[in-house]
Amino acid sequence: MQSRLALLQALIVLLVAGLVVQFWNLQVVRARHFREQAENNRSRLVTLAAPRGALVDRNGKLLVGNRPSFSVLLVPEHAENLDRVVERLASALGMGEASIRERLARRQPYRPVVIKNDATLADIAVLDARRREIPEVSVEVVPLRSYPLANAAAHALGRVGEITERQLQLAEYKSLPPGALVGQAGLESRYNRELMGKDGYRRVVVNSRGLEVQEAAREPPQDGPNLTLSIDASLQAAMEAAFEGRSGSAVALDPVTGEILAMTSTPAYDPNQFTTGIDPALWASLASDPDTPLMNRVIQGSYAPGSTFKVIAATAALEEGVITPETSFYCPGQLNVYNTTFRCHPGGHGVVDLRRAIAVSCNVYFYQVGIRLEIARLAKWAKLMGLGAPTGVDLPAEASGLMPSAEWKLRVLKAPWYAGETVSVAIGQGQVSATPIQMARVAAFVANGGRLVRPHFARQATAPQPAPLVRPETIAAVKEGMRRVVAEGTGFRARLTEVEVCGKTGSAQVVTHARLAAAPSVHELQPHGWFICFAPADRPRIALAVLVEHGRSGGESAAPVARKILAHYFGLERGQPAPANGLVDSADAED
Amino acid sequence: MLGLSAGIDRRLVYNLDWVLLGTSLLLSLLGAAMVYSATQAGSTPGLYVKQLTLVGVGVVAMALAAAIDYRRLADRAVLLYVMSVLALVYVLRFAPVIAGTRRWIVIAGFQLQPSELVKLAAAVFAAKIFSEYRQESLGLREVALPGAAIGLLALLIAREPDLGSAACLVPLFLAIAFLAGLRMRAVLGLAAAMLLAAGLAWPFLKDYQKTRIYTFLDPSLDPRGAGYNKIQSQIAVGSGGLVGRGFGKGSQAQLGYLPARHTDFVFSVLAEELGFVGVFVTLALYLLVVWRMLETARLARDRLGAFLVAGISAVFAFQLVYNVGMVAGLVPVKGFPLPLMSYGGSSVVASLMGIGLVLSVRMRRFAN
Repeated sequence: MQSRLALLQALIVLLVAGLVVQFWNLQVVRARHFREQAENNRSRLVTLAAPRGALVDRNGKLLVGNRPSFSVLLVPEHAENLDRVVERLASALGMGEASIRERLARRQPYRPVVIKNDATLADIAVLDARRREIPEVSVEVVPLRSYPLANAAAHALGRVGEITERQLQLAEYKSLPPGALVGQAGLESRYNRELMGKDGYRRVVVNSRGLEVQEAAREPPQDGPNLTLSIDASLQAAMEAAFEGRSGSAVALDPVTGEILAMTSTPAYDPNQFTTGIDPALWASLASDPDTPLMNRVIQGSYAPGSTFKVIAATAALEEGVITPETSFYCPGQLNVYNTTFRCHPGGHGVVDLRRAIAVSCNVYFYQVGIRLEIARLAKWAKLMGLGAPTGVDLPAEASGLMPSAEWKLRVLKAPWYAGETVSVAIGQGQVSATPIQMARVAAFVANGGRLVRPHFARQATAPQPAPLVRPETIAAVKEGMRRVVAEGTGFRARLTEVEVCGKTGSAQVVTHARLAAAPSVHELQPHGWFICFAPADRPRIALAVLVEHGRSGGESAAPVARKILAHYFGLERGQPAPANGLVDSADAED
Repeated sequence: MLGLSAGIDRRLVYNLDWVLLGTSLLLSLLGAAMVYSATQAGSTPGLYVKQLTLVGVGVVAMALAAAIDYRRLADRAVLLYVMSVLALVYVLRFAPVIAGTRRWIVIAGFQLQPSELVKLAAAVFAAKIFSEYRQESLGLREVALPGAAIGLLALLIAREPDLGSAACLVPLFLAIAFLAGLRMRAVLGLAAAMLLAAGLAWPFLKDYQKTRIYTFLDPSLDPRGAGYNKIQSQIAVGSGGLVGRGFGKGSQAQLGYLPARHTDFVFSVLAEELGFVGVFVTLALYLLVVWRMLETARLARDRLGAFLVAGISAVFAFQLVYNVGMVAGLVPVKGFPLPLMSYGGSSVVASLMGIGLVLSVRMRRFAN
């Protein structure tokens, strides 16, 4: 028995020794690992979202700001029974359990998962009442983007949304976590980095029920700096109102600096709907809407410039010396060249010089100009005046438009250029296309004495004025033509009593003359109406392009819109209605 | 109540094992301190006072047990056994369901866990039976009767259900049978039979019991569920490091990540706050207790005393090793208190009472 007792004593010593070895292993060998795990257990990292910088207009008026919102968060690791928490959260917030699980599936270890963004006060009240049942759930106040202007200037200001999988791969968005809100369109996207600021954090000690016990560390967020834009909110509002619900777009520039004073594209959308992740059904309806509300027509809509192109043709012809301002042509109402009949106003304009040709928008005059210039020189000047390339405006995804040339046609269409095509291009039809912002820049070019400015929103140190690209005499002649457009020509509906406006009307054909003649009242077949202008004539302060989709002629549809915008800009809103002037009324149809 | 004389003469006091007594009390006080640390931040910060009171009650029970002549006690082994069975049957039939089990009798507001006292009665009973055998070596036939008797107690306890306490009777019985001269072949045979029984019992285990075994094998299966206790305990132990995070400063214990931190996992709190050094010292004290008990068995004047002490120390050692092994993540989580340290009246009182019986044996080694 004594030996068996000794055996038992040996056994207990062995067992205790084994335990000591295991404790040595846990507490000395692997202590660091477990200390880290204990740290993870007890501390929770709370991100303090830095509010994005606000966007303000040139007078300091708020265009895009932030509003406080509630986010409902959960650290799954802190839930003792995750299924039960999900169940209770679903009932408290009126969400599906599946959508909560979907969000939890994308979690990172020990990082809080956003269960619901922009929770309502009712949600918060319910969570507060059930606090003891689901203490793992926390509520944070997070700044959310708000767009007080709603639809107004929506395309220019842009919108924010959750960072996409693709963006996460890009260097530009490096170090941003999934779920971060970034600019997804417009200026929000273009100046995303600048606006974002730097998130701060709080490291808090939490107990096993997830309740905060104390704060261990804090790094305050650094707000994103505000960005002052060149937009004039009041002018923007007038521009929105001037469209009265019609589809189209407009942009107003300071012709000397290139600062954009207002920009609108209709129909628009409300960017507030995107801030917390847009409802899929709403997104689908926006994306598939035939009126393309998501498209910024000002920089993404390419239209035939129509007769507004005559400003370019005139400038090119004068600079190349193929005509002088006094050169006159006889307009019988059409021109037969290259075995084709090119049409003008029925009945013709008679003998017209350059200024008169611009004023009444005589096609025959510019057919003659096109024939003498030929496509190479016409294309050269069009490009010098900004066509066929993005203007470089500080917005993403700008379209180039197209200025065709013989080389372009050979390269892309594998066909030779026909001289007859030049005739069409000279009046802005055929292959040539331009965006409204490019045409606004053309107006600014003339207004600014032949200097090409870069349109932009972000106010910056004044760039040195570029050298004029054309002679002053050329500008003087073109400007005089444009003055007469409004004073006595096709653009009379833009006339103001106290400020002299220079402009040019245009219409962009959507279908051939023959098809339109067959169905003259179908809205979708009507040409788009253009009007580009600047004012006042002597010292221009504003350049403007207006495009009214299917507005028939620019004089009829776009010029009145331009007039309202200009009237507001010059403080003349209470002035008389546009003067009725029958003089050139008949020119409307064919400007 | 059993009609025993409890006289103490000076010679008996002279032979008191002061080392065992002192070490046991030290561990009890250390336990109360850890209960204090584990509960001070919670909703029941006064629990350590209750624990200290219970230690006091335990000391009285220990004194009574030491004063009783264990041979007189053994004379009433059959009576003790019958009372045990009755108490367990009573618990099964009439005790209130607490946390899904029937383990406690409530008397005047106190919860009493009969299984704790049954362990002592079982030790007395088994010691008495085996001390009656005169032969030097025993076969399976001789152990069958006491085995069945102890097995019945184990079965009744297991039905509560309280598998942990029931399992304690296995080492108790094996230790006594082993000392009584059970042949090594029989020892191995018994071990094999028990493994087989465990295998057969598997289909009868409750789901939560199976889950515990699965998640013990792979805690990451369910980090927030059944694996939670093991993971949190290991984190507590490991983060304690060499010297611990300081008394009352363990984040796992103080922030509530450790489950059952003042009862079954009180040793985790000790490991976290006092570190490896504290663990080493505490385990050394426990080893000293068991060692002194087994020394008492060696010194006992008769086989009865030796067997009684062996049975009590086997239960003590088994609970110690299992509980500390559980804290260290070595064995599946089971509801075992750590003798002397875990919060819980019946456990503390019964542990001290058992030590009282051991003291009784040692005190009377020269008596006639």
